Amino acid sequence: MKSAFVLSPALYGKMLDLLSSLHFTEKLGNQSDMNFFRQDEWLYDTAVIEQVTARKGTWEIGLLFAHHQKPMKFLSRKITSHACPKRANMIAVYMRRQAAKDQRGTLSVSLSGFKLGLN
Amino acid sequence: MHQTTKQRIIESSIRLFNTEGVANVRLQQIADEVGISVGNLAYHYKNKEAIVSAVYENLFEAFSEILAHFLQNPGLNDLDEQLDLYHAFFSQNKFYLIDLFEAERSYPDIIAQWQGFVSKMLLQLRKRLDYCVQRGLLIPEPAKGIYDILSNNIWLTIVFWIPQQVLKGQPSSKNLFKEAVWMQINPYFTPKGLSEYTSVVAPLSGQF
Repeated sequence: MKSAFVLSPALYGKMLDLLSSLHFTEKLGNQSDMNFFRQDEWLYDTAVIEQVTARKGTWEIGLLFAHHQKPMKFLSRKITSHACPKRANMIAVYMRRQAAKDQRGTLSVSLSGFKLGLN
Repeated sequence: MHQTTKQRIIESSIRLFNTEGVANVRLQQIADEVGISVGNLAYHYKNKEAIVSAVYENLFEAFSEILAHFLQNPGLNDLDEQLDLYHAFFSQNKFYLIDLFEAERSYPDIIAQWQGFVSKMLLQLRKRLDYCVQRGLLIPEPAKGIYDILSNNIWLTIVFWIPQQVLKGQPSSKNLFKEAVWMQINPYFTPKGLSEYTSVVAPLSGQF
């Protein structure tokens, strides 16, 4: 029968040394390391609008994330594309529902938020 | 939680080993304790040696978990948490010490494995002292070899403190056990170490 693997005491001691040294080499991160998270925080409260556009023979699905109070602050991303428009529309709805904070779609952008000049 | 028959056999065996000693327990007693027939017991484990091996396998697994609890956090309470686990282990498995010498004769493989665990345990205690020196919690070793002796004494306390209290007819509570270990380290604390001990470890043990 094959004998069980045994770690030599010297090697085990070395491993414990490495483990202890971890507590001296590991340093706390900077507050600014988490900036990316704070910078993207506004995306939590966005109205999500799906866009399906014909492009190069396929139907491209894009999602537009607009701040629900300041709609001029938005982010548009192309996600994927489909050959069939029906399928593209269906997938776009699912994507929007998945991405939106409020799945019922009550978080919406009002037209007055754009402050459009009618003259 | 539902237990398999095998688990019930192991637990009952540990209970009987603790009270009667490994050599004095018969298969019939184990079967009675579990509430099954000897034939059924033999279906799960063919003889007593198989049960003893399975019991030790369980012990080794539990012991490995304690050893894995090494420097999971940088403070002194890490050792305190490990001491809790050691106390629970040695008070639940008293037969290990009672039958240590008997086991050496009958089950040499088991003893060889135990020795592996013991050497790891000793190394951990020694390295922990080095780590505390590096963190400035303990004074540097006053003379060469003192911390080797100290770690060995701590090991002796962890392993043999419970049986010696039983022998003296004195209580073997967890807090007394931990105090017996910490009081050996106490003289080597730096002011920083002592302040961490009194603020982090002592309140957990109900000392002071």
